[in-house]
Formats: sequence, structure tokens, C-alpha cells
Amino acid sequence: MSFDIFICGVGGQGLVLLTNALGRACLKSGLKAVTGEMYGLSQRSGTVSVHMRIGEDAHSPLISIGGADALVALEAIEALRYIEYLKKGGLALINSRIMHPPVETAGLVKDRTKKYFTLEEAVSRVKRWTSRVAVINALATAKESGNPNAENTVFLGCLSALRELPLDPEKVKEAIAEVVPRGTVDQNLKAFEIGMRMASEALCDFGVCRNLR
Amino acid sequence: MVLSDVVSPNKGKAFMLCNEAIARGAIEADVKVVAFYPGAPTSEILDTFSEALGSFDYQMQIATNEKVALEICAGASFAGFRSLTAMKSVGMNVASDTLFVLGYTGVRGGMVIVMADDPHAHSSQSEQDGRFFAPNSYIPMLEPATAQEAKDMVKEAFSISERHRVPVIVRTVTRVNHQSGVVELEEIRRSGFSRARWRDLKEEYLTLGEVARRKKLRMLERRASLEGEFEKSAFNHVLGGDAGAGTGIVTSSVAYLHVLEALKNLGISGKVPVLKLGTTYPVPRRLVAGFLKGLGGAVVVEELSPYLENEVAIIAKDENPGLRIFGKRSGHFSEAWELNPDLVAKGLASALGVPYEDKSGIVEEARALKEGMPERYPTFCPGCPHRGTFAALSQALRALSASGKGYYFANDIGCYSMWVFPPISNADSSLCMVASVGIANGLSNVVEERVVAVVGDSTFYHAALPAILNAIHNRNRFTLLVLDNSVTAMTGQQPNLSTEFTAGGREGKRVPIEDICRAAGAEFVEVIDAYQVKENVPVIRRALEHDGLAIVVSRRECALYGDRRKRRRGEKITPFYVDKSACRRPYACIRDVYCPAHEIDGDGQPRISPELCDGCSVCSRVCAFGSIRRAETEGERR
Repeated sequence: MSFDIFICGVGGQGLVLLTNALGRACLKSGLKAVTGEMYGLSQRSGTVSVHMRIGEDAHSPLISIGGADALVALEAIEALRYIEYLKKGGLALINSRIMHPPVETAGLVKDRTKKYFTLEEAVSRVKRWTSRVAVINALATAKESGNPNAENTVFLGCLSALRELPLDPEKVKEAIAEVVPRGTVDQNLKAFEIGMRMASEALCDFGVCRNLR
Repeated sequence: MVLSDVVSPNKGKAFMLCNEAIARGAIEADVKVVAFYPGAPTSEILDTFSEALGSFDYQMQIATNEKVALEICAGASFAGFRSLTAMKSVGMNVASDTLFVLGYTGVRGGMVIVMADDPHAHSSQSEQDGRFFAPNSYIPMLEPATAQEAKDMVKEAFSISERHRVPVIVRTVTRVNHQSGVVELEEIRRSGFSRARWRDLKEEYLTLGEVARRKKLRMLERRASLEGEFEKSAFNHVLGGDAGAGTGIVTSSVAYLHVLEALKNLGISGKVPVLKLGTTYPVPRRLVAGFLKGLGGAVVVEELSPYLENEVAIIAKDENPGLRIFGKRSGHFSEAWELNPDLVAKGLASALGVPYEDKSGIVEEARALKEGMPERYPTFCPGCPHRGTFAALSQALRALSASGKGYYFANDIGCYSMWVFPPISNADSSLCMVASVGIANGLSNVVEERVVAVVGDSTFYHAALPAILNAIHNRNRFTLLVLDNSVTAMTGQQPNLSTEFTAGGREGKRVPIEDICRAAGAEFVEVIDAYQVKENVPVIRRALEHDGLAIVVSRRECALYGDRRKRRRGEKITPFYVDKSACRRPYACIRDVYCPAHEIDGDGQPRISPELCDGCSVCSRVCAFGSIRRAETEGERR
């Protein structure tokens, strides 16, 4: 068996760091981990995706269609973009942040009757795929922790609240402390803690939360 | 990247990107000289060596192009030093002139060439299959599937190189380079560096006519001895299954991992024999023949061209003429695009006659959910100087079109490539590194329209000079924009000749583009600041009207690179905001700049996201009402 997480977002949101922290936590836990990372053509603002696979049975760096146990979307539209990778009924952790791509805004300027694709629309469509959807305001949480760039660690916290994640949250925290820039460790660990507590409520409703002390 | 994993002298384990593992492997193998020109998906190899440079005694050069990088390594290897370069396979097109000759001359110190293909053209202009460089140049090739194997193969490649006195290609694909995994670290024991004495090593590294004919025979002998060695290589192995008269699988590279995954998903793990090849040139024919013997069928699973399939067919013709071969020609797999576990499962199920649960229903259902969802094309980063340059260029080109003259726009490979994507979608051509200038040399003499070509700073040094000199000498008339953002931005802001430092942050001599152009005799050379949109329009208009070659160097450092430098200096990035009372909603800020930081808010007015805004000021410069201002207070930032 493997535990498969599909992580997606927008270039600049720190998916590589998020992946590194998870991978290091696997190493600390004696677990095999393999990833397939796609950064896209542009350095920022393009779509970014990571296939994160944990377990002895994880061979390919790519998750099969309908194979991901969890989908982590640091941007809401991106959750929908890769929805086919999530198992039916799998867990979707979605940032409430929407970043409208320039091509969408350009369309609105050209045709004033057009409307933006909304968070509500994205979430309601994901809910037609799985009932287990948690929407997280990671940007606000990151700001609250003192570092608006810590959306990625908020989601590491959210993931760590999931009972099926085969990683001890303490190991994830250790890994975070090793990969984030020195001087931001405390902020990131705070973001992690708040993220874990926030997600825990939603995940308990689905019956998949970890017992938090 | 966590530097300590790469530089730790001790044994252990680390979670690493394959490209980092490649660098670690080479450092463990005591590599002494490395040289690169960056290119996705290999760039992190360069970056890792650059970051680790302070910890070791290897020499490193970020070269002007792949050919020079290859030659730097060849030079070091002639003198007995271990060397490594890495490039994408389209970079090998540039370097291949030298590669082919190195097959003839051979080398002395172990020389490793990491060459990455990009099936699916994720970050390349084509799906070129670089494996054919190996048989064509008689240079041996290894293909890893995982980060661990890549590291092991790089180390072994140095030994193979020295045993057979030939460079060794380690061929990867994007899904190998950009794969992370747990990697075993071995001890790092460096030998120390001191200059060699050529007079002690003296040997001829030349080839021409009679010499080439003689050396060709030696290459054939070398191939035979390499093949003999590869018959016993631990990089090839057979996994599971009883051969019987059934069907087996031949595979290599990342396709091997997809095969394991697919067999698991089909519930037949261990039931089908799999030959995993790690040495793919020369192919160990006796090993393959032994595997094929007695099989009724062979499924060949590989990406892109039927390279292994051809080998299997040739071997089977003598060893097992009745063998059914399933692969590209039989239609079980496509030569187009990359493989994944689902495509492999589908092909295997069909070839093996086992049930397969088709996923097209799920994909179709997902597609229906995505109806009307916006695309997210690659775009310029917030603060990107190209946005300013193109805002001015757009205005100048509009004027040119209005005058009835029209234009041909030759785009090129670099961050400015993003201009070919919606919503801008402006390019008549975009081929490969610096083809824009060559194309302009040809087109400008045969079309009525003004030809405009663009290159970046890194591409300028890489290969633009011959085409520019050609234009000067032949008095060709076109406009060339050189977008100088100080670094090779698209691959991760590596320093180049436009940067005042080089690998490892060491000092490098800057080579100003305009000085080269003027010295070569270009008569129209103007330097502009990319952010000064209004001031730049008339300059670009003059360059479009100039009766000759007109070169405009648009300069401003890459925003990501600049931001890092600002942070280091302790400078803050101050975002801009829209003063709603002044905004008249002409949307020039959106239409002329298309910045990811801009949105339209509920009341139809533009809004700038303070999290995304880089404070570049370009949008404020195109606003006729002065309603976009720097947010000096917290309140203005909301």
C-alpha cells in the first residue's frame, strides 16, 4: 500500500519546500517516499503540481488517475484542475485563496458581462467528486503566524491532522525546522500548529482526524 | 535544497531531488571539473554544484553554451581530471559537434555527460529523443529510473569512462530529474587538487581523414568491449515471473517504474518477467537474447521513439523469430507524450490479455467538472522587466501596423517566450535558442513587413553573435530586442556573462551586450530601462523605422533575482495600490501589462494584490489618470 498525496498550487506558493518537508519527515520515519514534481515553464504564477507518494509500494513518481488519498490545493481553482487524480471520496484540503490568472482578468475587461470563477463554484464542484472537502483560509493563518509566505506550512499542519497520514506530526515539525529559512522557523511552526488545529475540526466531522493532545 | 545533505562527508540517507543526488554522486566520485549551461530539467544540477562550491575543491564554470561546457570538461579530462557536464538534449544539439569527435579521440579522466530528454515537452520546444546520440557517436549510455540509481550510475560512469577511455552519457528524462526520493549517501573522500603536467600525459586528441579512419576501427572495438562489460552490469536485471512461453516486458528509465506500478494495479506483480535495462547503449545483446528465448511475446515499454523496440526486434530476428512484439508499432503505446502508470497499465493489459479497468470515464467526469474553469498559462512573474518592455513594444508595433507597414515577430526561447501564450499570444515564430535572429536574417530580405526579433542576455551570449555579425556584414535590415535581465532567469536565475559574479557567488567579469554590438559595427544600438514604458515607446519606434539593423538592449534585472538582492540588503518591497477615487477604469493597467497581481474587484475597478505585487511600477506608468500609486501606509495596502 502507498499513501498518495496530490499537491498543487501556483508558482511561488512554496510547493517545493512543502514537498521537501514531507519527504524529510518520511525519511525520519523510515518510510520510502517518491515524488514527481512539475514546476511549469514560468518561475511564478503558473500551475505547479507535485505527486507525493509514501510507502514501500510506491514505485512510479506519478499517481494513477483516481489514486490520490488526499488532494492538497494551495489555490482553489487548481484543486479542480487536477481533480481526476483524487480518489472518489478522498480528502480535499483546499485553500480559500483564489488567484485569478491574467487571461481570466483579460476576459473580464473585454466582456463586461463575464464573471470570475469563484471559490464557491470551485468548492461546490469538488464536492461533487468527494464529500470530504475542507476549505482552509491559509493566507489569513499564515499572516496570523507572522509570515504571509507560510501558506505551505499551514497545509503541512492540515495534512498532519489527518489520521491516515503515516507520519508523526512531530517528525513533520522537525523537518519544517530544517527546510525553512533560518529566522522563520518559529513563524512556520506556529503556522503549522494553527493549520493542524483548524483542519482537525473539519477532519473530525469526516471521522478522519488524528487525536490531538 | 538542504545544502548539508549534499556536502555532508558522512554516510547516511537523505531525501533528495534526483538532480541533487547526481551532484552528490559526482562529488563522492571526486569530480574535479564541472561546467554547465542551464536547461530544464537539469538546471538544479548546476545550482547544487554552485551552492556546494564553497565546500570542495572542484572547479566550476557556468559556460556560454552547452558546447563550450562540454569542451571545458573534455579539456579537463584530456589532462586526467574527472569532469561532468549536464544539459538537456536540445542543448546536446548545440554540443554534438564536439560530442561526435570525442567518440573518436576518447578521453583520459572520467568524463560524464548527463543528458536529459523532456518527453511531453514540459519545458522544451520539442520531444526530441536524445538516446540516438549514443549509437550515432559510439558513446556509451546509461539510463537511471530513480534518484538513487542516477547517483549510482553517475559514480559508475566515471569508472566506465576511465576503463574504456570514452565519455559516458547518463540519459535522464524530466520524470527522473524532477523525482525526489530517499538516497543512500556514501562517504565523501576528496583527493585534493593540483595541476597536472601535460608533458607527462601527452597524447594526441585529434582526428581527420586517415586518423579518423583508423580511430573509427578502434571505436568499433570499444563498442564490442563495452557490450561485453554491459552483459554483466548490475544496472540490468530481470525481475520476477516464470518465462515459460508467456510474455515478458523489456523496459528502461522511468517507464520501468510505471511498469511496476501498472503490474501492481493490474494485480499481476511478480507474475510477468521484466527485463530492466540500465545500459542502453550498447545494448547487451546476449542478455536480451537470453531473456527473449522461450518467450511468446515481448512488450517493450519506453517513452518517445521505439529505440529499445528496434533493438529487441533485431535480436529476436535471430534468437526468437516467432516472438510477438508489443510496443509502438503494434499501437500499444504512442511515440507521442510521456507515459504514466495508467497508459502503461492499459498497454500491458491489452498485450497480456488481462482485464483492465478503463479510466476514461473518470477523466470524462472530471473534464465535465472543469467546464468554464480558467486556464493558467505560463506568464511573466509580477515585477518581470519583460512586461514593461513588451508594453512599450506593443504600443510601437500598434503604431507600425496603423501605418500600414506591419511586422513579423520572431520570438525565442527564454522567459520572453511567455508572450506566445494567451492573453497576449503574439509571435509569428519561436523555434529554439536564438533561431529568432537567424530567421530574421532570412526573412527581412524577402517580406515587406518589418522583422522584429527578440533574444535574452543568456541567449545573446549563447549563440546570437554569429547571426548578429551576419546581419551587420550583409547589411540586413531588422530590429533586434535584447532583453537583458542580468541572469538566466527561466531556469532559476543562474548567473551569466551579464552578471558580475559567477558560480558559487564568485566574481565574474561582466560582458556588456551593447559594447559587443557597437564594437562589431552595429550603427543603431540603444539601451533602455525596461520599466520606463512611456520613454521607451519612441526609442522602439525609431528602431522599427531604422533603415538597417537596429538593436535595442532593454535592461532591468529579473524581478526574482532583484528581490533576493533587495532582501539581502534589507530593502522592503513596497506594493502599489489603485486609488479608487482617481480610477476612470480605462483598464490600461490590465490590458497593457497583464500582471498576475491585478484583478477586477466587485465594483469593476482594478485591484492590486499586495501579496503578489512586486512594486515594479509598470502598471502605474501606463495609467493615464495617475491612479496607481505606491502603497506607503498599511491602509493603502489593503
